[in-house]
Amino acid sequence: MNEASTAAAAPAATRTMPFEFRGTGAQYFRIWIVNLLLTILTLGIYSAWAKARRLRYLYGSTSIAGSAFEYHGQPLQILKGRLIAVGFFVIYAWTTQVWPLTILLFLPVLVFLVPLVILLSRRFQMRMTSWRSIRFGFHGNYTGALAAYVGWGIVAGITLYIMMPYWIYKRVRFLIDNTSVGTERLTFGTEPGRFFAIYFIALGLAIAAIFAIAATSGGGAVILGSGVGGASPAAAIGFVAILFVVLILLPLAIGAYWERSFTNAVFNGLMIGPHRVNCRIQMGRLLWLYVTNVLGILVTLGLFYPWALIRRLRYQLECMEVEVAGSLDEFAAAAAPEATATGEAIGEVFDLDFGL
Amino acid sequence: MIEGRFFDARTSAPHPAQVDIGADGVLRLVSAADMRQVALASVRISDRIADIPRRFEFEDGATFETAHNDAVDAALDAVGRGGFARRLVRWERLWTVALASLAAVVVISFLFVKFGVPALANVGAHVMPPSVDAKIGSEGLELLDRTMLRPSKLPEARQAEIRSRFEHMAESVNDGHEYRLEFRRGGKIGANAFALPSGIIVMTDELVKLAHHDEEIDAVLAHEVGHVRGRHALRILLQNAGVAALAVAVLGDVGSASSLAAAVPVILVQAKHSRDFEREADAYAREWLRAEGLPETAFDDMLCRLAKEDDDLTYLSTHPPVGERANCRK
Repeated sequence: MNEASTAAAAPAATRTMPFEFRGTGAQYFRIWIVNLLLTILTLGIYSAWAKARRLRYLYGSTSIAGSAFEYHGQPLQILKGRLIAVGFFVIYAWTTQVWPLTILLFLPVLVFLVPLVILLSRRFQMRMTSWRSIRFGFHGNYTGALAAYVGWGIVAGITLYIMMPYWIYKRVRFLIDNTSVGTERLTFGTEPGRFFAIYFIALGLAIAAIFAIAATSGGGAVILGSGVGGASPAAAIGFVAILFVVLILLPLAIGAYWERSFTNAVFNGLMIGPHRVNCRIQMGRLLWLYVTNVLGILVTLGLFYPWALIRRLRYQLECMEVEVAGSLDEFAAAAAPEATATGEAIGEVFDLDFGL
Repeated sequence: MIEGRFFDARTSAPHPAQVDIGADGVLRLVSAADMRQVALASVRISDRIADIPRRFEFEDGATFETAHNDAVDAALDAVGRGGFARRLVRWERLWTVALASLAAVVVISFLFVKFGVPALANVGAHVMPPSVDAKIGSEGLELLDRTMLRPSKLPEARQAEIRSRFEHMAESVNDGHEYRLEFRRGGKIGANAFALPSGIIVMTDELVKLAHHDEEIDAVLAHEVGHVRGRHALRILLQNAGVAALAVAVLGDVGSASSLAAAVPVILVQAKHSRDFEREADAYAREWLRAEGLPETAFDDMLCRLAKEDDDLTYLSTHPPVGERANCRK
């Protein structure tokens, strides 16, 4: 109330509000492992409840302006979606096994089905998200999804992937521009040029890395070859160190470059109505997270995974803030989502995870 | 009295509020924006997870949010509303339960891979319709022909000779399998023989040449027949599928790096199964040689020569060490 009235007095005032993340690896690990056991004991049926619980924890640990996000997905809806997906897969696997030629029939169907599934999943995910009781929404239609996912993909293909960054841009834009928080629409302002720059720099780095790996293995063969005749142990240790840098650090660094640049490009161009989102992930910090997470996961045979996920999420949210124009108290709820067509009701059962 | 914030579900403006849950099953909300008095049963209260905010949703969509989880739990306990969700959150809180769950997950997965998967694969291999079996076999051979094997250069006469010995063996075995012997040039895989599902046995030219006399070839063929009789190829295939399914179930939401790490014990267990199958096939080969009145040394000699040929580690990992399988003469 009072926040709204001060904002009305000075409408041009902007201030920044950080995202906050309170989740911890220790908590997430315990939630994950207890629910995993229940999933196994129920032969997988409980997995839908486990998923809803994990997502509620992650959403509920993320907040802005003192209010956490809420995940509303119901386990039975998730279970239904999974059963449909499994059913489809069984039909696909069985028919293509018995009549191998039917794969020619399935492929075009898949091409048209994938945008539909993405559309329905996104709609489900947004509708199942709320902040201060204001539900998110997704308004993309099938034609838009088909153009963003298939149409521009074909363009990327026939231009020998020179247009690949534009395809990525179109997909991100489709997802963001059609999202809303209550009645407030999200808009995406990043220029396509950014995606071209990031994509081709990453591609250049990857090609350079392949040469570095080839050169190192060549050098390694020389060292190992002379090793039979008695190479010095120092040379061998040096070689292992170089191998570690080239084979593990280099790919991780390129991955970190891509993720840092891509995530920043996506979120820095994001406007929630009049409010601007900032995202400043730093290369060095992200790479450090990657290296320590991979080491942790390898050393603990995967048990570190919950911590790795939480650390990654926390770092990204630490780097994000909202430049609030006026007040965050003025989001208005959209019309009740209950009044929806049957097509959307079908959408409620689809919930496939996919990134931006 | 539970402190929190009220949202009217029309705008995102927060209103400080208090909620009181009476022993009479009535929930009272007090805030500057709204006053409510409703039956507790009509309010949807979210289950507790760790310490994330608790959410009360009224029938009209308005909500009350609070971070005071303990106060909510105490109030709900007082009116006897708790149930499974209360117990679950207590388990998720305790490290002892978490570690016990971890141990249980590991033990169940291990037992399943060690006993459950082979038993299921065995049943699966025996109920598999012969048509599917034959299809997997012929497709497997096609794949091998495209990738590793080359057409045989063994003279027709020699092939016919071995084939007639093999037909005699197949007749004496007479266990319903349609045995078929195929000759191929091994190239990279060298002297080798293997059994595919549905009774196809492949023998490389190199192996034929490695044998000093025909009884040694018989011994190898009998070993492969042992694999076919036990439907080992199909069982291995099904076991791999079963283990993959388990891995997806357990690690479905886990990153690829950790599934890689988790693959290590799986590979070890699989190699163990594969060695068990080798022992079974060895035993069958010896049994057949004895029944035919042939010397078991034919099998020993051949195995020892093969081991000398192939000092590759992959051979040893899926097969028991040769010293355990055969008496090698110096």
